[in-house]
Amino acid sequence: MKFSSFSKISAAMIIAFSLTACVDDGDNGVSGAVGAAGADGVAGNSGVSSFVTRDDVIKTNANIAYAAYSDSLISATELKVALETFVADPTDTNFALAKKSWLDSREPYGQTEVYRFRQGPIDELKADGTLGQDDAGEGPEGLINAWPLGEAIIDYVEPVDGLSGPESPANAITDNIIANITAYPTINADTLEGLFEYGEDGRNVTTGYHAIEFLLWGQDLNKDLSGTGTRDNTAGQRPVTDYSIEVGACTSGSNATTDDICTRRGQYLVTTAQLLIDQLKRVTEQWEPVSGSHYTNFVAGGDVSLAKILEGMGRLSFGELAGERINIALIENSQEDEHSCFSDNTHRDIFLNAKGVQNSFNAKYVRIDGEVIEGASIYDLLVVEEQHELANKLRGALEATMSAAAVIDTKAKTGMPFDILIQDGIDQPNIKAVIDALVAQTDDIEAVIDALGVTTNDLRDDTDQEI
Amino acid sequence: MYKSALIFILAASLVACGGSSEKIVEVDPPEIISPDIPVQPAVDHSGLVPLMADVIEKNEYLSGGETTVFVSNKNAFGRKPAAIAEDFQLDGHFTSGDHLFRTPDNNIGPILSTGSCQGCHLNDGRGVVPADPTIPMSSMLVKLADSTGKADPIYGDQIQPFSVDGFIDGNTLAAGLSKHDGSVSGTELYGEAFPFIVFEPITGQYPDGTAYELRNPVYKIKDLSYGAFVDDIHFSARIAPQAFGVGLLGAIPQENLLKLVDENDSDNDGISGRASMVINALDKTGTESKVIGRFTYKAQNPNVLQQVAEAYGGDMGVSTTISSSEPCTDKQLACLLAAEQEAKVGTDVDLSDLSLAFVEFYNRVLAVPARRGFDRDNETWTDEVTAGRTLFFEANCTGCHTARHVTAEAKGSVLGEITLGGLVMPESGETVEAIAVLSNQTIYPYTDLLLHDMGGSCAVTRETSAGLSCSSGAECMYVQRCDGLADGVIQGDASGTEWKTPALWGVGLVQTVNKDSTFLHDGRARTIEEAVLWHDGEAKASKEIFMNYSKAEREQLLTFIESL
Repeated sequence: MKFSSFSKISAAMIIAFSLTACVDDGDNGVSGAVGAAGADGVAGNSGVSSFVTRDDVIKTNANIAYAAYSDSLISATELKVALETFVADPTDTNFALAKKSWLDSREPYGQTEVYRFRQGPIDELKADGTLGQDDAGEGPEGLINAWPLGEAIIDYVEPVDGLSGPESPANAITDNIIANITAYPTINADTLEGLFEYGEDGRNVTTGYHAIEFLLWGQDLNKDLSGTGTRDNTAGQRPVTDYSIEVGACTSGSNATTDDICTRRGQYLVTTAQLLIDQLKRVTEQWEPVSGSHYTNFVAGGDVSLAKILEGMGRLSFGELAGERINIALIENSQEDEHSCFSDNTHRDIFLNAKGVQNSFNAKYVRIDGEVIEGASIYDLLVVEEQHELANKLRGALEATMSAAAVIDTKAKTGMPFDILIQDGIDQPNIKAVIDALVAQTDDIEAVIDALGVTTNDLRDDTDQEI
Repeated sequence: MYKSALIFILAASLVACGGSSEKIVEVDPPEIISPDIPVQPAVDHSGLVPLMADVIEKNEYLSGGETTVFVSNKNAFGRKPAAIAEDFQLDGHFTSGDHLFRTPDNNIGPILSTGSCQGCHLNDGRGVVPADPTIPMSSMLVKLADSTGKADPIYGDQIQPFSVDGFIDGNTLAAGLSKHDGSVSGTELYGEAFPFIVFEPITGQYPDGTAYELRNPVYKIKDLSYGAFVDDIHFSARIAPQAFGVGLLGAIPQENLLKLVDENDSDNDGISGRASMVINALDKTGTESKVIGRFTYKAQNPNVLQQVAEAYGGDMGVSTTISSSEPCTDKQLACLLAAEQEAKVGTDVDLSDLSLAFVEFYNRVLAVPARRGFDRDNETWTDEVTAGRTLFFEANCTGCHTARHVTAEAKGSVLGEITLGGLVMPESGETVEAIAVLSNQTIYPYTDLLLHDMGGSCAVTRETSAGLSCSSGAECMYVQRCDGLADGVIQGDASGTEWKTPALWGVGLVQTVNKDSTFLHDGRARTIEEAVLWHDGEAKASKEIFMNYSKAEREQLLTFIESL
């Protein structure tokens, strides 16, 4: 009995009951040595239904995937409306609403990323609607969330940080898409998708959340727009006049430019928002309960599917989040390497990615409209399979991560964003605490994989990401 | 006699080890062999039964052993082995290394050839020759040496065509280009020079009358920012090679490679093969004993870490604890001045050891793509590949392109054990954990990693763009014309006509990964067939066998190479 409080037991029991209506008694929770049979009693289940099966856990995980991707799709749809409103009427208010809408859209999406790195639709869905097996780079993830950007391919940049270009200068286009009217007369889906990863260059990112982010915020150049000197707590400060519809009032940052540039910038925003919707829709449909083809296969997948859940949790925790998204930015002290570098929203990316891992463990997800999706969890399963200690250990590790991530979140909301925290002599310990917690939880996830006897080897053909 | 008997016993004991029983294997007494008949050794340089021209080993389709991946699309050179992906920590280190490999560093310059590893190793594959002579080289470079192999006193051993100004916002490369005498004043920083290649067609035909055309490169260098080169300068243009598989090549035991050395061609096959012996910069024992070089086109680097560090230093202007100086010579005041103004100067190196270790790890474990042409379900090869393999062996292409090697234990990084929190040096008496997936593998890279004389010669002249002779001035370019593969550049043990045998694994996917990539050190060969036809010197006999094959046979041989 790890739980000391009655209310927690009740809560767990309620969850268990709601899941399997046929559970007929709660005695499991008080059997064992303290039950009627004394020392000969059967071990209890800590209030967890004995009937939670591996298939239940898999099904709940699939239901949450659908909910989280649906929320991402819904909020992307709202984002597009906000962007259209702004482009048609580029006021300060509408600009702020557009940015708010982008930030809102990141909330559900961040929690879906635990469904990456496990041969799911996000990484493997091909144009023909089937899933690839060898990560042909055909999944929609890149079009949706590729990062970091060589944003110079999209729009003007200030020559300050030296890091806005592609991997290889050989893969740079002339000027940028918005400015080069001759080469790209029409800003449409074909243009943007055609130039995505132009030259097989992973930094030539022309679509997705971060392209929209750049078009809304612009480069993060500090308050004085110098891009040099001490970092401050401002995000990018793209002027609203970059979208002006008044004759002769269009700007590219601090420079005046021709009206058609503002028109094209607006077209770019709306076009890429539609592409985001299209790609999210493809993924969401795969996860549609009962009818979605990945949903169907996944819930019937048995231990391979259970391994996938843990796989996504482990690889997001360690390699992607602790490693690439946090530690690289820290050791390189590089704003370019923070995930949402234009909007300074990286604290939310970190929090929401970590939250996604916790969601997968607890089998609980709060939808954007407040509805709670929950069901059979890995926690429940571990208890049923008599791995009480491990269940509690990973629960604790995930909680430790969330509390460390909450510190970063709070600091950012109170004036000290991630790009300040990563600097030498500032508050690196806050960042390091999140890394350490993620590393620790990865160890526990590995222990769970061993304890449940599922193997991730079957997944290997394999699931790399070209971000 | 004594020698062959010993080899026989070795072979026998090896076979015995493979079994699980303790039964003593009967060893037949060695047959008496007449001394004038060449003896096929019972074991090869790896201690294995030699490969046969007409027998394909069971696991030959696994070019990289357990490091092999089954990907044959545009991502084929950027993959991780399954054993890395299966381990959350190793997977994470690979991901971090991958990120650093493709992201321009904060501290590039002052002068450089490109801004990130991937800037040259496009999509983890090969670089490209610029499509026309007005486009600067950014995924290939030009090495420099005088007639004795010494670096140019002003420009060093490599032309860095750009100053950091060309990389400041991603698409203003021109801002960093060189300018005639532009940096002579010592205050204004420009790239060093503008090298470019003009191709001249060469036509020829096979004995069966089939015509072919090659393109012979002429190297030209204009717009020298720091004054003239030393008088007897030579140039070597080099395409960045594909980056995978190097951790395996680094783990082949040196003694195995040295067994392939045949400096005096004692076996009379026209192929010698010399080891390029180089200093191991990572050897802190102070012995400065030389080890075999394995990397770069003339085998100048002995291990992946040193290769990575020198690429950061020489190609990107990013200093590390291993290659701690900026790419300026003491004659380049404008460069030195800019270096002093960088964010990190002196012993505060540009790239931390932890970042370097991530990139080293990534590069070492980048996986080798599996062979194509093999049906894994039925374990059969296509007829073309099978026939082509025999023709490849019979033409003695394997005289240099040694098909098979084994690796020993692949030691962990000398920088320490990687953790996200930092590098951890092992306690005394302990070692950094070896990289299991690279260790004790049977691999099929098709190289001996030795130097071979490929023939040819070069001459350097000064010319205007109209081809008129000149001796100085803004219009006066350096022009190097060669016949054959020679570059005239001496590097270490390697002469101006010697090249290290490049590995052939994955070569059939080069143009899948990057459609504009071409072959040989300077990208002159547009196809694998052209690359074969450029072979000369020690490879002349093999090439002539190839040329005398029927058209169908030539196609089979090329299909085999494509399947690698």
